[in-house]
Amino acid sequence: MGYTEESLPAMINEEIDEVFESGNDLWNIAGGYSITESINLDKSNFSILLDNVEFDIHNVIFQQIRKSNIIAIFACTAGKRITDKSKEFMKDGDLLKGYVYDLFGSIVVESAMDLIQNSLQKEMAALGLKITNRFSPGYCGWEVAEQKKLFSLLPEHFCGIELTDSCLMQPTKSVSGIIGIGESVKYNGCTCNICDASNCLYKNLKYQ
Amino acid sequence: MCDTLERLMNCIESGKINKLSPFPASLKGQDGADELCKLALDEGINPQVILNQALIPGMSKIGEKFSQGKAFVPEMLISAKAMTAAMKHLKPFFATGEIKRNGVFVIGTVMGDLHDIGKNIVSMTIEGAGWEVIDLGVDVKPEKFMEVIDKYPDCVVGLSALLTTTMANMEVVVKEIKSKYADKVILVGSAPLSQDFCKKIGASFYSPDPQGAVEYLKKVAA
Ligand code: B12
Repeated sequence: MGYTEESLPAMINEEIDEVFESGNDLWNIAGGYSITESINLDKSNFSILLDNVEFDIHNVIFQQIRKSNIIAIFACTAGKRITDKSKEFMKDGDLLKGYVYDLFGSIVVESAMDLIQNSLQKEMAALGLKITNRFSPGYCGWEVAEQKKLFSLLPEHFCGIELTDSCLMQPTKSVSGIIGIGESVKYNGCTCNICDASNCLYKNLKYQ
Repeated sequence: MCDTLERLMNCIESGKINKLSPFPASLKGQDGADELCKLALDEGINPQVILNQALIPGMSKIGEKFSQGKAFVPEMLISAKAMTAAMKHLKPFFATGEIKRNGVFVIGTVMGDLHDIGKNIVSMTIEGAGWEVIDLGVDVKPEKFMEVIDKYPDCVVGLSALLTTTMANMEVVVKEIKSKYADKVILVGSAPLSQDFCKKIGASFYSPDPQGAVEYLKKVAA
């Protein structure tokens, strides 16, 4: 939201507690990944070929995953109900509650994806492999529109997520992307220094 | 300024909705925006004066703090709720024409995009600045914008879109509007946008936050 622990107004704190308590039965998390070993990296145009589908991932992401031998394509959703609830409150004029539910949905899906990524990391570590950070279309120059190709490599209706013509995932609280896997790839605590997005809410936040 | 208006303005700024609202703690048990607006009317204060000297400045103060990074979205939303509680008492005067607003602002999230939180915040901030807001919702087709603009030819238009893929649809809407209303004032906003993009698609003004839009609208209305 932008507050520090000390500057969070009591009223908002109370609202957050309430939503986080009542929100527990609202999520409907589903997520997972599909692994492909058919990869081909092209340094000349910073693209990657996954199962013969070409992705223009651009320089920043390319550099992070270039040492991968395997790629995990992931998608994860917090489900539709949180967003429905948020919209309900907004419609009834309770904008703050609606907003907190919306935020809650974003936190749920990101946290769920953290868990999936952790489990992938453990699974790979057992095989002597490391993983990179996760990278999503729409970040660091990788076009959102490439989500179409990404979803073409996942089973249909994967985790109940649908992609609209304009590349919007439904449910809203969903994320997609790739993770690199290999013997000599690196996981960077914070990739904010290599990303050029100046208006990202997460910029340097998680890692302070 | 009289005491009631001053207190009303403070309630809007601090998000004190009514007597029962427990926050802010310093105003606990005291009248809120709801009661004070009614009191102001009972005291015979002109409704237009209530709007212009208490409600609009209250929202403007919180909006300024927001654009300076001293307040965040939740505080804006609570202030908006306090504003709505006060506005309820002024509604009849809008109908009779006793209160005049600055103009009509038509806003929507463009075709293909379903995001509405950002747009909702812009809507209520601009309403709080004394405009009549017509919110067309999300996934709004160009035809829908045209239909409403035809009905309110003097309106100002606001467009929102959160992804680069749907941002492109803003250009389609701007072209369609400009082909019939060449001088139409069109505001655009949302996270992936920029001043360059605004210029490129021929929109009038880009603001990364609602307060910037309010400041621009002041010039438009003048
Ligand atoms: C939270 C978040 C998420 C959450 C929730 C998303 C949601 N829709 O609910 C999660 C984690 C699920 C998510 C997912 C994705 N996200 Co996201 N997300 C964000 C983030 C951090 C905040 C968005 C938000 O809620 N802001 C709060 C609201 C209140 O702000 P707002 O909508 O921007 O509105 C304000 C202003 O923009 C302005 N404004 C808005 N409209 C208008 C109109 C006018 C006229 C005016 C004057 C002003 C104005 O005023 C508002 C109030 O201040 C942004 C980054 C950012 N800094 O904004 C990225 C961001 C929107 N996401 C982005 C992307 C790419 C994605 C994904 C595609 C990534 C992926 N592949 O997984 C997915 C898509 C999800 C989907 N359903 O399709 C990109 C979009 C840019 C692009 N390249 O297209 C952004 C900008 C991040 C980035 N790369 O910089 N995301």
